[in-house]
Amino acid sequence: MHLLQLNNYTLAAQGSGDGLSGFSFSLDKGDVCAIESANPDDAQLFLRALATLVHPLKGTYVFKGHPHDLKKYGEMLGYKKQIGYVARDAALISNMSIRQNLLLQRYYYENRLDIDLEPEALSLCGDFGLMEKLDRRPSELNTMEIQAAIVIRELTKRADVMLLSQPEDFIGHAKFDLLVTLFNQLITARLPIVFLSYDQRLVERFANRKVMINNGSLTAMTTGPPTQGPL
Amino acid sequence: MIRVIGYIGRKAIDSCTHLLDLFAFLYRIFAQVRDRPREGRVLVGRIIIQQLYFTAVEALPILMPIALLVGSMVIIQFAKLSGQYDFGRISVLLIIREIGPIITALLVILRSSTAVTIEISYMRVLHELDAMEMAGLDPIRVVCLPRLIGITSAMVGLFVVFDLVSILGGYAIVWMVTDIPMSNFLFQIAKAIKLADIGVGLLKAVLFGVAITGTSLYRGFEMKHQITEVPVATSRSAVEGFLYCLVINVLISIVFYL
Repeated sequence: MHLLQLNNYTLAAQGSGDGLSGFSFSLDKGDVCAIESANPDDAQLFLRALATLVHPLKGTYVFKGHPHDLKKYGEMLGYKKQIGYVARDAALISNMSIRQNLLLQRYYYENRLDIDLEPEALSLCGDFGLMEKLDRRPSELNTMEIQAAIVIRELTKRADVMLLSQPEDFIGHAKFDLLVTLFNQLITARLPIVFLSYDQRLVERFANRKVMINNGSLTAMTTGPPTQGPL
Repeated sequence: MIRVIGYIGRKAIDSCTHLLDLFAFLYRIFAQVRDRPREGRVLVGRIIIQQLYFTAVEALPILMPIALLVGSMVIIQFAKLSGQYDFGRISVLLIIREIGPIITALLVILRSSTAVTIEISYMRVLHELDAMEMAGLDPIRVVCLPRLIGITSAMVGLFVVFDLVSILGGYAIVWMVTDIPMSNFLFQIAKAIKLADIGVGLLKAVLFGVAITGTSLYRGFEMKHQITEVPVATSRSAVEGFLYCLVINVLISIVFYL
């Protein structure tokens, strides 16, 4: 049983993309899948489809062996929270502080409003230099800090799948070592990752599968086991 | 001629579809109250309190002077017009039954309904609602339900404050500033107010609150991806909300007073 499967999926075009027609894709534990596409909109569309944020024109979405009807959005919420999504259209809730954004899932599912972050989140906030800005609203932060907060939120939500779009931009080229460390941690935890990156070092170093998107068609291929350690 | 009929027909169908969509949307929000899921109760409670503060408490410094002005204006006009005969009763009819709910609704639309539409539109355009869903949170429960309860409760509270301030405050102002004989006024008011008047006023406030909040949330959620659509949606939600309030007002008056 695959962790995640898209069967015979067709997606309408968005932006300057061509859309994707009649493709199938599956993801298993330990997969680190890099997306290669000449058109960033198509790559983004594929990631959004994996995150269930776009509905297919046809096809079935299977998560942990259960096919899902994406139109029943209330039922999908329980599955969506198991997907980590770091992409250029990921956002923070602007009328909440960074701390509240990081705690939002706990507020909701555990009915607790206390403001203490988990040690893992605190450690990541320290790594990203956000400790002093936790009680500020997103509008008071610069783009890099907002993106860092999104990364922390998604990494600490204990997802079963991680979808990353241009993580080198999110985490910052200056903190490339941190990005490598995070990738290593995710791979050690055998968390399946699908990522789009224009940094070939990341693709060659970590990807054990590749997805090529070209003119509306998608081809998946296996490249070999990922290796860990510093670049 | 056929074109004109076709145009009218299409507009009528569009309006009916829109109304049905609005009712379906409201049904989904009320289903949250019916189903009472355990998740998010504390968070929803906190957002309700915040919404009550924004819509009710922060509106008081604006509502109270308006209520005073309207109350004293109505009392002066009817005291002169009626030659003191039954002017307490006429004031009650006008303020509690009609002016109170409508002016309160107008104030809530201007302050809160527009703010809610803008807030939700931006959340939609900037993918914040997607972010909520990806965290497993239901936007209907976390965004819509607390605003519906908060604004509707605020509407009822503001309506009560408006009536009290406009009648008692208006009486005090007229008594202090003019030489209109007011000796019988409060007695007439007490005699004129029936429980049904208060009940109908509260019913109007509740229905206005639901109509205003439902419209503003619906228009916000309807937003697609263009930030330039936000002002259009805001203006539509304000005008439409006020129109629904007037229609509800007329319907209630027909049902209870004819």
